[in-house]
Amino acid sequence: MKNACLKKKTPNPLQQEVHDTLNPFEEFKTFQFRKTEIPLDQIVQSTEVIMDQIRLGYERLLEEEAKELVWMVQYNTIIKAYEVAEKYIKEIDYSAEDIEDFCFALESPQKIPYLIPGPAGIYISALCNYAKEEEIVLKLSELKTEINLIGFRLPKGKRLMVEGDTGDFTGIGLEGGELVVEGNTKNWTGAGMRGGKILVKKNIGLHTGEWMMGGEIYVGGRVRGLGNIVEGKVYERDKLVYPGKARYPNLYY
Amino acid sequence: MEEKRLQAIIEEIWPRLKRKHLYPEIPIPKIGKVHDPLDEGNEKNDGVGLEMKDKQMTINPAFLSTLNGKMAEENLIEALLDHGITHYTFCPWDFQTHLTLYSEAKKVMGDKESAKQAANYFIDVIADTHCVKKRATEIPELHRNLKKGTVEEVIASLYQRIWGIDLGISPSKKGDDEVVRRLARIPYLDRSRWPESIRKFARSLKPLLILEQNEKEARGGKGESNPQGEHDLDHYSYEEIDQGLRDYAQKTMGLSEFKEVVEDFSAELKEMGYGIEGGMGRGRGAPIDADVLFYMKLAENYSIPLRKIPLEEVGTLHPHSHSPWEVGSPFQDIDIWTSFGKIMPGITQIWKKKEGKGRGKIEGAPDCLIIIDSSGSMINPRKNLSYAVLGAACVTNAYLRNDSKVAVYNFSDAPMGGRDVLDYTANREEVYRVLCKYFGGGTALDLEDIMPMIKRKKEMDLFIITDMKITNLETLIGFFGKIQNRITAVHIGENPYAARFEKAVEKRKNINIFTVKKKEDIPHIVLGSIREYFNPIHRGR
Repeated sequence: MKNACLKKKTPNPLQQEVHDTLNPFEEFKTFQFRKTEIPLDQIVQSTEVIMDQIRLGYERLLEEEAKELVWMVQYNTIIKAYEVAEKYIKEIDYSAEDIEDFCFALESPQKIPYLIPGPAGIYISALCNYAKEEEIVLKLSELKTEINLIGFRLPKGKRLMVEGDTGDFTGIGLEGGELVVEGNTKNWTGAGMRGGKILVKKNIGLHTGEWMMGGEIYVGGRVRGLGNIVEGKVYERDKLVYPGKARYPNLYY
Repeated sequence: MEEKRLQAIIEEIWPRLKRKHLYPEIPIPKIGKVHDPLDEGNEKNDGVGLEMKDKQMTINPAFLSTLNGKMAEENLIEALLDHGITHYTFCPWDFQTHLTLYSEAKKVMGDKESAKQAANYFIDVIADTHCVKKRATEIPELHRNLKKGTVEEVIASLYQRIWGIDLGISPSKKGDDEVVRRLARIPYLDRSRWPESIRKFARSLKPLLILEQNEKEARGGKGESNPQGEHDLDHYSYEEIDQGLRDYAQKTMGLSEFKEVVEDFSAELKEMGYGIEGGMGRGRGAPIDADVLFYMKLAENYSIPLRKIPLEEVGTLHPHSHSPWEVGSPFQDIDIWTSFGKIMPGITQIWKKKEGKGRGKIEGAPDCLIIIDSSGSMINPRKNLSYAVLGAACVTNAYLRNDSKVAVYNFSDAPMGGRDVLDYTANREEVYRVLCKYFGGGTALDLEDIMPMIKRKKEMDLFIITDMKITNLETLIGFFGKIQNRITAVHIGENPYAARFEKAVEKRKNINIFTVKKKEDIPHIVLGSIREYFNPIHRGR
């Protein structure tokens, strides 16, 4: 009791000190931190959401069509994979820029763990065919991977322009659309195309236009080899090479 | 008079600006003439509004007068300073980020000039967007009033879209609208995605930048100046550049990438004092050896402990004079009074000690002979990252920091002339240059080359780094068996020859063997450690 009385009388030096010392952050009490929402936030956020949906569709396609992470290019597998891709893509509201972003995301293992060229190409083709825009430009010059099967079943009224090189089976089964490749394409370009136009600014590989049933292929550089063409036209540097006697199928130049 | 009035405006708004940007450590900006490299013939010199040199911002009064009547002077100055401060506080923040952004842009653009342009535009977009989002700023008003070229017009359209502020830009033509749409999708404020973002930025802007570049060439190299200031190496101090190169070398770990960037910036680096002659490369005129610089900067990230031994001296050491402290130098020599209590290269100073009168034994580091294998089985250090050269470079640093000298014996097939010998020296560049030499071919040592270098010194350490695929390995083992010097042997990777060497010298207490398989193994090398010396318990056994 005696001690308690003593305590009451003695002023606490610490309390006194606290009272006298200024809070060094006092000045910030009135500071108004401006953190406004700008349209960029909304754009970036919605881009992310769409990219997640596109990624998910691709992963589902792989789950269904490439269970063992192996995928063989056959008529049936291509048709089936395309149907699966169509199913998922129809649910997404995306733009042409999202397709380009997806192409680059394919090369980033953190974003997409598996890049299987066949299904990836089918999926990108489906994205292009179902895009709202009539003209799609894909700037893929810096892409290290050459995408196969791009332009598959490109429908009439669509124009797909690819900056950079593409892989095998470019523009196969083209259905009246216009495919422009600013670089080179590999083998089996335009195989089985039914109509439309393929324009390759540089060189083209072997089996060009194999089983092609209509349409035109224009090549700015060299055609390494023609396939067995049923119907249609192939031009090499503005010169008609099919139909004609200048080039024969399955002979490589 | 006019300048004084403008300076008074700065002095009035500066405390508010500092507070707004959370007190960055930047000196008060000045009013004065600025250097405009793109517009040197123009007497008016009114193209650039802001210049930044080594954290000092200077506002150009001639530029301010061009916007007379369009914008209040105070607001104009504030907008320029907001922009300038954000370069220090957000983007690019440091030299390493600047280099990273540039190198990513170059991957897309292909050439140096347009890559620099792309990086500059990107840095400005980030800085301004950050300001608009997080600070109350007059930057939008500034953009509304600036004179614009083709690219600037597109960038202003981008600002309209991503800031949601009308800058008076009319709907652009179809192609430009597509570019703006692409640019608007980039997450500018996400620092972790800047490398990916700048590639996308450069890809979208590439046709316009090429067009701008062609127009500039047609005008004889004269282009439009950036009113918000150019982004060159003037922004950074020598120490910041040094640190930036060090971090960039460490981050990329790629010789070719580092080399490309250093060569692209070689003119600016030389201007800053980077050459290969003298000190850390100060001095003008000499070409920059990017390979040597790469190993030099990379080695500065590693610190190898060096065990000292009692050396006989005539007297004890006492503090004599000051010298700048470098990362990795001993902390015990720091003079805290002249270093203002800070551990920071460029500020911190260490005591240089000098021998005084008297007798006694003090601890110190002896000189070191580095034997490095550059035969065909080793990696060519000028083509790829060589752990052997990196390891030897770290060893060089460890000895030089302790005021010892280093000699180098670089060999492949030495008896056939495949060797380079450097006598004991404290010149770091000379050592590095010999370390970076690559001979290729066979591997054989010539002991006659080494013996004089060892015999000359009473106390010296020996450091050998090789893959041990040496034709006369037995001779080397025999030689090591005879000498008493401390030997640190490092072999790159595991192989039967290394196993044979390890087995042959396992009983020698003066020989320590380390394996380097990856860069992380380098700091584990302890130079000159002798079990007996450190662990007296073992002495009696």
